[in-house]
Amino acid sequence: MRNASTWAAEATSVFVKEWRCEFRTRYALNTLALFAFTTLVVVSVSLGPLGVSMSQGTAVLPVLLWVILLFSVAAGLPRAFVQEEETGTAMALRLAATPSALFCGKLVYGLTLVLALEALVTPVYVAMTNLTVVSPGLLAGVLAAGGYGLAAGSTLVAAIIAQARSKGTLFSVLSFPVLLPLLLLSVELTRLAVAGSPPGVALPQLLLYDASVTVAGLMLFPAVWNP
Amino acid sequence: MIPPLVILPRLHFDDVRRRFGRLSVLTGVSGVVEPGGMLLVTGPNGSGKSTLLRCLSGLLAPDGGTIEYREMDGRLLDAAERRQRVGVVAPDLAFYAELSVEENLAFFARLRRVPPDRGLAVLRRMDLPLDRMAGALSSGMRQRLRWAFALLHAPRLLLLDEPFQNFDAPGERVARELLAEHLADGGLAVVANPSTLDFDHAERLDLGR
Amino acid sequence: MKNLFPWLLWFVISAVIAGAFFYAPLAQGFIGESSRILFFHVPMAWVSFVAFIAGGVWSLLFLFRGRKPKDDRAAAAAVELGLIFGVLATITGALWARIMWGAYWNWDPRQTSIIVALLFYAAYLALRSAVEDRDTRARLSAAYAVLGLAVAPFLFFIMPRIMFSLHPQSVINAQGKVEVESRMVQVLLVGSAGFTALFFWIHNLQCRIQALSDRKSAL
Repeated sequence: MRNASTWAAEATSVFVKEWRCEFRTRYALNTLALFAFTTLVVVSVSLGPLGVSMSQGTAVLPVLLWVILLFSVAAGLPRAFVQEEETGTAMALRLAATPSALFCGKLVYGLTLVLALEALVTPVYVAMTNLTVVSPGLLAGVLAAGGYGLAAGSTLVAAIIAQARSKGTLFSVLSFPVLLPLLLLSVELTRLAVAGSPPGVALPQLLLYDASVTVAGLMLFPAVWNP
Repeated sequence: MIPPLVILPRLHFDDVRRRFGRLSVLTGVSGVVEPGGMLLVTGPNGSGKSTLLRCLSGLLAPDGGTIEYREMDGRLLDAAERRQRVGVVAPDLAFYAELSVEENLAFFARLRRVPPDRGLAVLRRMDLPLDRMAGALSSGMRQRLRWAFALLHAPRLLLLDEPFQNFDAPGERVARELLAEHLADGGLAVVANPSTLDFDHAERLDLGR
Repeated sequence: MKNLFPWLLWFVISAVIAGAFFYAPLAQGFIGESSRILFFHVPMAWVSFVAFIAGGVWSLLFLFRGRKPKDDRAAAAAVELGLIFGVLATITGALWARIMWGAYWNWDPRQTSIIVALLFYAAYLALRSAVEDRDTRARLSAAYAVLGLAVAPFLFFIMPRIMFSLHPQSVINAQGKVEVESRMVQVLLVGSAGFTALFFWIHNLQCRIQALSDRKSAL
């Protein structure tokens, strides 16, 4: 019935629409950036002037980076689905869009938001905390793979809570347990990147997590989206 | 035995029921719409007209009963397919405020994998400026955009809830023309809450208690 | 047979309690009588794990085998019971940890896993209470349960590696070595079976109560 090339065009048009609306309102970018930088300043001020030893730094700083990313994503990403329900545009989407294409379009949009956030936050974070990263290549890989997991998990959970009440708190409550393995793996790999150690078995596990969440998302989204 | 001739497209719903919590809104509603036919759903507020339309469009799953919609190939469409095939006008249908009228239409056309031409033609007939931001539309203009959205993909079944809401006289005239053309072309329509009940040749379904 | 089952269960659980205190020997290396608590802690932790899987499986059945309300009821009941057993397992574990290691909480992999499981249960129940429409509630919570099922296994593989474990490697092993103390094993196995049966019995009751309640609200 519907062939693959136009499915991709559908997903792309969702992605384009998200960014077009985003550029006109700048809501998500502002929220993410503001949240991230405020938290970042708090973290650096608490650690910086008080001084932190090198070993303490390598233990603590990777964790704080991912905490900043997690909470920024929780502040800015759910809007992708929540706003559709709240403004009432979800009805038109349900009538017109293919669910899997819609999900992928939103997912890639979320991913680009997260990657943009990471690109902004990480260099500033590394500079402000005087963190020396021995394997920047691995760090970039972790940020990409971990960022993908954040985006994928958050997009599906956002679709779920968009149809419930008390969406703000509910998103955090639901997403944290789901994202916990991702965070643990990302923090571990970030530590390894900082220390210059080989990634070991954690990297394949992270990629496997990403794959699992993607498959789960594609499988579950139609049930979540359709009545 | 030769089966009776069934002319397509055809909508047949039987014993449709829907509850919300303790409130039974639809308690076994049935109806048939043949090609070129219009079903006018009447009843007081709260009698379930909008609920019925939402069930027919596939946006809401009924608790019981069947909804059978067949198009030209005779195949029975499930709720998901029905949802994508029908044309819907409803008061809670909304569009993206940050996009212009034309951008909204182009987006939904791309989702439906059709060219936006039909929708744009409707908007031209209804005299709606294409470059206006959807968030800056008056309620009457929003209604015109809803009609353009509904007709974008040349649907065979129109489900119209408050179709002439907020229209001025010219707007309503064009909308009625569009509806008449759709029916003359063999399309089906189910209409609820129109501003006036004067339709020739419309079957009635009264949900009143 | 059905009427006999509760009596059988009563007998088995009583036997487990008696066995825990009088039949099984004390584990070596454990302080005083504290190892007795393990005969309850381990089965309850096990049941909590079973509940997690069961909730996920019923949710899958609900989503992909016809959206039957009974599957949704079963999933919700499993999670509710999983929460109760999980909380009990956590408390008994913490009490025992206090006696053995001086601290109620040590963040070792097993303790962390049970906490994460509790977070999942609580999240699932929070989601259910935030959705009014029955069909939507069933759909969304089932999807979340399946998502939980998809990601939770990762925790079992990640945790032990990341954290140094204070948890005894094999609880049935009284001396921390390979050999096994047979009486303890017997009580633990019977206890696990008994508690699992208890879970399914309460689950069955809960499903039936909920079915009646749903039918009543439909009238």
